[in-house]
Amino acid sequence: MKRTYLGEFEEIVLLAVAVLNGQAYGVLLMHEIIEQTDRSVRLNQVHSALQRLEEKGMVRSEMGEPTNERGGRRKRLFSVTAFGQRTLQEIQEVRAGFWERMANPLKLTMSI
Amino acid sequence: MHHKPPRLADRFLQFFCAPHLLEEVQGDLHEEFEYQVERVGARRARWRYWRDVLGFFQPRYIKRKPSQYPQTYSYSLIMIRNYFKIALRSLQRNKVYTSINLLGLSLGMTCGLLIFLLVKYHLSFDNFHAHSDRIYRIVTEQHRDNISYVSAVPSPLGKVFRNDYTFAEKVGRICTFEDMLISIKAEKGLNKFKEPQGVAFTEPEYFAIFNFPLSVGSFQNVLNEPNTGIITERVARKYFGNANPINQIFRVDNKLDIRVTGVLKDLPTNSDQKAEIFVSYPTLKSYNDWLGSDDAWGGIQSSMKCFVRLRPGVSPSEVEKVFPAYVKRYRPTSKNVHHYKLQPFNDVHFNAQYGGAMNKQTLWILSLIGLFLIITACVNFINLATAQALNRSKEVGVRKVLGSLRGQLFWQFIAQTGLIATIAGGIALGLAALALPYVNQWFATEISLNLLSDWRLVMFIPALILIVTFFAGSYPGLILAGFQPILALKGKLSQQNIGGFNTRRALIVVQFSISQVLIIGMIVIARQIYYAQKADLGFNKDAIMLLPIASTPQQAKTVKAQLQSLAGVEQVSLCYSAPASNGHWQTAPHYDNHSEEESFRVSVRAADNDYLSTFDLQLAAGRNLYPSDTVKEFLVNETFAKKLNVASPSDLLGKNLRVNGNMTGPIVGVVKDFHDHSFHEDINPVCIPSASDFYNNYAVKISTANVPATMAAVEKTWSKMHPDQIYEYTFLDEHIASFYETEALMLKLIQLFSLIAVFIGCLGLYGLISFMAAQKTKEIGIRKVLGSSLAQILWIFGKEFARLIVVAFLVAAPIAWWFMNQWLQDFKFHITIQPWIFVVTIAITLLVATLTVIYEATKAALVNPVKSLKSE
Repeated sequence: MKRTYLGEFEEIVLLAVAVLNGQAYGVLLMHEIIEQTDRSVRLNQVHSALQRLEEKGMVRSEMGEPTNERGGRRKRLFSVTAFGQRTLQEIQEVRAGFWERMANPLKLTMSI
Repeated sequence: MHHKPPRLADRFLQFFCAPHLLEEVQGDLHEEFEYQVERVGARRARWRYWRDVLGFFQPRYIKRKPSQYPQTYSYSLIMIRNYFKIALRSLQRNKVYTSINLLGLSLGMTCGLLIFLLVKYHLSFDNFHAHSDRIYRIVTEQHRDNISYVSAVPSPLGKVFRNDYTFAEKVGRICTFEDMLISIKAEKGLNKFKEPQGVAFTEPEYFAIFNFPLSVGSFQNVLNEPNTGIITERVARKYFGNANPINQIFRVDNKLDIRVTGVLKDLPTNSDQKAEIFVSYPTLKSYNDWLGSDDAWGGIQSSMKCFVRLRPGVSPSEVEKVFPAYVKRYRPTSKNVHHYKLQPFNDVHFNAQYGGAMNKQTLWILSLIGLFLIITACVNFINLATAQALNRSKEVGVRKVLGSLRGQLFWQFIAQTGLIATIAGGIALGLAALALPYVNQWFATEISLNLLSDWRLVMFIPALILIVTFFAGSYPGLILAGFQPILALKGKLSQQNIGGFNTRRALIVVQFSISQVLIIGMIVIARQIYYAQKADLGFNKDAIMLLPIASTPQQAKTVKAQLQSLAGVEQVSLCYSAPASNGHWQTAPHYDNHSEEESFRVSVRAADNDYLSTFDLQLAAGRNLYPSDTVKEFLVNETFAKKLNVASPSDLLGKNLRVNGNMTGPIVGVVKDFHDHSFHEDINPVCIPSASDFYNNYAVKISTANVPATMAAVEKTWSKMHPDQIYEYTFLDEHIASFYETEALMLKLIQLFSLIAVFIGCLGLYGLISFMAAQKTKEIGIRKVLGSSLAQILWIFGKEFARLIVVAFLVAAPIAWWFMNQWLQDFKFHITIQPWIFVVTIAITLLVATLTVIYEATKAALVNPVKSLKSE
């Protein structure tokens, strides 16, 4: 496939950025991911993933306004670029295609 | 309560995190911290904070954002050539400054290098034996009213231990007698050799434990039969030239004829095995009947060593548990209770208690001194270089305007320092090579400076140069590279821009404290040695020659008579040893009709009736011995009386005394106390019987007129009577001086170190004065305009230095007093540390300091104020 490769964790971070809709930043993303996936995530992993996504051009970022709660430090707010959105959609389509072609999808859910 | 994240973690984060990422990362971390405080409490939140901070410690967050400006390429050949050219020019321009730096650095590096060689040499001792972690030496603690430590054991112990237990793979006994006479039949007469390292009676298993390979023969068939032996290649060449040494005969001590059955490769110099002649152990019985027998449990001869290699997995404490049974079986009644211990082999060279050659602690102290000397040399370099930095401000300004970056300027200065350090390293290598023979002589070592074969040395020198370069060059480099180009070009930089004055002061104080401690130490040691050699010992030690007795008691008497008849010989005595000697022939006395032996021990100084007159010993009571060849009567000293708690020495007269088992007789006289050992020891109880079997020396008192002729006559007489011996003699005063060899060596070392320390301290002073002179140019100008005299201006400098040296002295005096007092405790008879020593010390220091600063200070004071005030 010709789209840029996206790691599993990167995909989750990208999805979380999309969900938070322009309000996404490090700690918030981490908490969101912990809540949704129930796995232990560390701050530096999130930051690294965000940096990689930005290098790949899937998110863009800008510094927010200073707030009181973090000692006056600004947040870096992330939002998904058009390229990022298209990538997410492509992934979704590929997976949906596989699911449809599966012979007996119900059996899988039954066996859980 | 509001909680804060751990400050140290925050500081660390700020240190490593790239600035353009810091804000968001730190913000996120703080937000998370507050959240975690709510969730899990402050304490655990702190831990998590640390963990999170460390999580960010990776290249992605550490790497700085690249500069947006283009960079000049600083490692081009032209630039590097330019660096060196400028470096050479600036070194040439400041010749004094360069030579002081070179001198200081090369001196420091020479000491560092020599100390490195010495430490390496000692650490490499006996490191070539297999399984050396399982090798032990059996040693003895002798428990009487005090404990003494001997590195030897009763001779049968090794044998019974080998037969009774399976702990050891190998047990090897070796009994070394030093200073042996070896004679070899030549075509005409005898070739005689004195072997100071001696002859070792050795079991073959010794060579199974230690790795000393044979070059001719095999260990299966050497050292088994009596009267056979092996020698090293070196000794073989010395004795037999190029002839085949196998089956040649050599004679030991005019007693034993030994046939050579094998030749060892030369022993490595870094081994404590010094004797090079090994004779089979069964031969020992015919050399010393008692020592070679299987029941010599009664005492310990210090030459008798026993080494074991334990089986794998056997612990030494397990083995030590079986030894007390031997003491119970073989020495049931002795008041001298032996405790046999296993001394690990790698401790042998370093444990002074058991006669180790070099204390590990000494090695550490030496290393520290070396490090200190290098550091102070570097510190002086830093001082001088920063004081000089202003002179180069224009250059820095121009370079910066032309596009140099800080880093490049910094590296340029490092290159210059590297140049100096490399030259200094070269000089140091040369100096070390020159000084090495002296070091070897002083420390009795065989160190060689071999650059080709010694990779550690080859690594050490460049490493030292590199470290010195960076340590000495970094700080001035940073200062230099940090100049603002505009200020630098306008000449508006002042000394305020280049670093703290107080740091320099502190450094000077430290340097001079150390110098003064060393000077005080030097004076005290010199005084103590002088005292030990000049004090009244209780006997006369001048113009007395000691010659060995190497014949039967009857012949000795003849020799004595012949010596006595020589012109210039005043008196001759046959004796076991001189009144003061290092030998320890001590035994527990039976006094009068006491049923048990006394708890103290008495030194036996067997001698004939001329002993008192030869050595000018004084009688306190009674009379001298009557002439006799066997023990008939005793003289004792006053300490003997004191130990017995007898009120007056004369009460001892007529009482019976029995020593050494079988020597018995009445006490007929009491001599006044004399120092029977070095000043390290108290005066021991002494008894003097006549016993011609035990005489070792002719003590010949000669008149001080025409000494060479008398000495020649004495030699002729002695040699005629002992044709198969080598003539040798010592003067008693030299013999006594040799008690203090360690102290004399220490004196030499401390003289050297204090000289170097004072010198380096002066370099530091010189750096400070140049710095001060530059800083106070304007002040001096104004003062002169307002009418100060030369003396007043000199006092500005003098005040500063006098203060520093007095502070240094206040630090040094108590430290030195404490250390030297500790040192003097080694002596039972010692000087007291008197106030004048301190006065002399500070006077010397002040004098040297004045000489150092006077030139620069006068130069600064004589500058025309018009010049110093006009420049701006």
